[in-house]
Amino acid sequence: MKNWGEIFLGILTAMGGFVEVGELVFSVNSGAKFGYRLLWVVALGTVGIIAFCEMAGRVAAVKGQPVFNLIRERAGLNAGLVTLVAANLVNLLTCTAEIGGIALLWQLLSGWPYRWLALAALVFLLVAVWVLSFQWIERFFGLFGLLMCTYLAAAYYLKPDWGEVAAGFVPSVPHLGSSSEYLLYAYFVVAIFSSVLLPYETYFYASGAIEDGWTPGDVTLNRIISIVGSVLGSLLAVALVVCGAEVFRPRHLEPQLPGAAALAVSMTLGRGGLLAAIGGMFFAFAGAAIETALSGAYNLAQFLGWPWGKFRPARTAARFSLTWIITFVLAALVIMTGVDPVSVVEYSIVFSVVILPFTYFPVLVIAGDRRVMGEEHVNGWFAEAVGWFFLVAVTLAALLAVPLLIATRGGQG
Amino acid sequence: MKDDFLDFVRQVLDHEVVDSNNLPCGMVDDLELSGEPGGELKVTALLVGPGAWTRRLPSGFEGLAAWVFGTRQTRVPWSEVESVTERVKLRSEAEALGLGRADRRASKLLEGVPGSG
Repeated sequence: MKNWGEIFLGILTAMGGFVEVGELVFSVNSGAKFGYRLLWVVALGTVGIIAFCEMAGRVAAVKGQPVFNLIRERAGLNAGLVTLVAANLVNLLTCTAEIGGIALLWQLLSGWPYRWLALAALVFLLVAVWVLSFQWIERFFGLFGLLMCTYLAAAYYLKPDWGEVAAGFVPSVPHLGSSSEYLLYAYFVVAIFSSVLLPYETYFYASGAIEDGWTPGDVTLNRIISIVGSVLGSLLAVALVVCGAEVFRPRHLEPQLPGAAALAVSMTLGRGGLLAAIGGMFFAFAGAAIETALSGAYNLAQFLGWPWGKFRPARTAARFSLTWIITFVLAALVIMTGVDPVSVVEYSIVFSVVILPFTYFPVLVIAGDRRVMGEEHVNGWFAEAVGWFFLVAVTLAALLAVPLLIATRGGQG
Repeated sequence: MKDDFLDFVRQVLDHEVVDSNNLPCGMVDDLELSGEPGGELKVTALLVGPGAWTRRLPSGFEGLAAWVFGTRQTRVPWSEVESVTERVKLRSEAEALGLGRADRRASKLLEGVPGSG
């Protein structure tokens, strides 16, 4: 069994999914708009992402096959290619938003021009991924991303009504004033559900398991890592909802900037807390940018059979290396046009739900195939039941996502 | 499914190809068959490269994909296949079979960059 330092793969994966710039704004906003009434969606999504990361990690450990290998093999060339194009578009959009988020944070601290800071963020990310091994990327961004735990402390010190918080975990439809508010609530349900189940988390996690050289002996470690990482990410998302509900809802404010979330921390923990929160956001956004850029390269390489992986010298996996470099550069160029990073990520989250069924179906089929996985590692009845339940749920969400996006004018109500 | 039965569509097509050093060198993008009606049908080669897979796309997308990825394809004789598991493993190195050329060209772009290996 590998070193327990592998836990940082789970933490970095979850940071990139649960507290990236879009999820951060969505979580705080859902607290500001609906209080605690959407917490059940975070909890439901968390069970789903644990189930699929665990399955993808198990297949990677047992058979050495990452997600886009499985998609090509099981969904076939045509459906697989559609999934690849959509997945990499989502990766690019999310990477764009994260670079924008980093530039916004640095601007908050320095007051320097946004576009130059976006360029500096690009240089930082290129150097970090080029210089650091995969294991050091996991440790560095996973460990410092834990500064986001400042939000857990802030949520505690905001002294929410814990009974009300607990009630939010029970699925319910609140009594709202108009049909447009019900549509907005439905839009937030789908958006938060898909933002927790972001497909690139699974791509990155399974590819990371192969980067880390997992073997069938690491199946138990995989289960623990996928649970610990996702539960931590989920707790941070819940803390952000609490911050939104306690700080912004009473003041009838709808925060649209990622930095606004730090206000809750500065109110409760002072200057030191504020700096830790901004530091945490920086490492979480940078981690998400790296996760999405590498995921784009993993996906393309695995679908087309190129040599891939940070464990290989860059020149041995040349097209893989060039792909993540180009992803970063394109993302930075888009953000330097002045586009709003939060709008970009809101669209990318909604569109990512459309590809979720194509991503999760092959993983579920392979993990449940006795001939492929063997008696010891095939899905048990519980994993199979949970997997199919969530496949139906993501398919429903996929069907509803775009109509709700249009009906609510992108969540504006 | 019997153990001595190979389902080429499920077990070979769209599977990763690795060379004798286990280096990925493409996917089984298509299969070359030979035979006559009424006679024995044999798989004679794997076809690897965009020239093979773009032909399998719906007609409207074939040209676009060929424009983006090119039309090159490499024929790997079936006799070069050592084993078929999750991957199709070859007996020789990728370079000897004409596979992995695009990566070797791309690696020249990274030449001289410190840490490129």
